[in-house]
Amino acid sequence: MDPHAQTLTQIAHGDKKALAQLYRALERPVYRFIQSRLNDPFESSDVLHDVFMEVWRSASRFEGRSKVQTWIFGIAYRKVIDLHRKRGRQDVTDELPDTADDSPDAEACVTAGQEAEHVRHCLGTLKDDHRTAISLAFYDDMTYAEIAEVAGVPEGTIKTRIFHAKKLLLRCLSGRVQRGVPA
Amino acid sequence: MTRDEIIALLPFLANDTLTGEERAEVEAAEVEDAEMQAELAALRAIRNTMQTEQGYSPGEMGLGRLMREVEAEAPAAIRPRATPRWAWQAVAAALLAVVVGQAVFLSRAPDDPGGFTLAGADAAFTIAVRPDTTEEALRALLLDAGVEIVGGPSALGLYQLATIEGVTNEQAIAILSASDIVESLEVPDD
Repeated sequence: MDPHAQTLTQIAHGDKKALAQLYRALERPVYRFIQSRLNDPFESSDVLHDVFMEVWRSASRFEGRSKVQTWIFGIAYRKVIDLHRKRGRQDVTDELPDTADDSPDAEACVTAGQEAEHVRHCLGTLKDDHRTAISLAFYDDMTYAEIAEVAGVPEGTIKTRIFHAKKLLLRCLSGRVQRGVPA
Repeated sequence: MTRDEIIALLPFLANDTLTGEERAEVEAAEVEDAEMQAELAALRAIRNTMQTEQGYSPGEMGLGRLMREVEAEAPAAIRPRATPRWAWQAVAAALLAVVVGQAVFLSRAPDDPGGFTLAGADAAFTIAVRPDTTEEALRALLLDAGVEIVGGPSALGLYQLATIEGVTNEQAIAILSASDIVESLEVPDD
């Protein structure tokens, strides 16, 4: 049972209190998702605002084929892409970090994985598609099927993205610990 | 599943969203593979770190901004299709009038002394009513507005109406346009 389905139905009928209720329930995770891709709190706030305005305007068009949360993350996903296109932004990250180690040190990965600064830095080195997949999996505990819905791609694509994103993330974390980068 | 496919699913074992046979297969492989166990431990550490991160969010300030904009456009949001529907029905009514007019012109012989008169030829206005309108409600509205049906309903659900004696167009229009069951009201240009 989708916990937000009833609320969205009320929004479709013009219930502003229901909109406020849905905003309070999902504002934080949706904002965090947007911020993980834009890394700009002001821009992220504007996109969050646009996302919930679109929820208000198009709630009646929700077809119930996914969870409400997944639908809203999908709106946020597309809005960030639109913003990137508008700005002509190029993804220049996702290169291998400056360590050529193919098999990252397991212990170092666990150690670095416990440090927010290391994790934040290494997430920032991933390109948008990879960062999105990891963010949705670990910030929001989504299944790979849900991530595929948000991004509008086949499930196999998400598995591939996760496979590569995880590899790059672990190499980056391991590299920072081995090089003694302070957390 | 291949080893790579299983490794690709480790993040979903870490976030506890794998289910059924897929979960059983990944767990079985992980138990026997030290490298996978180490990777799973690292992924769980990363997830825990991300989950406990306390970041800023617009919160109530963002909600205030949202509600201000919603208030500003609330009527449009609640009845988003009113204008287009009226526009389409007006276009449909105009097209219908052209088609009917041509049919009447072509079917009348020049020396036809009287022939037939098309019902609705002197219609004062065309209306469309809500699809769930009952005959009783429509009848009550027509009586109240002092109009009678002189044409329709057409395939598009349009009724052509004329006022009865003693009722002005303005009086009828005032009642028809205030009615909940009327979806569109078209007054032809003279």
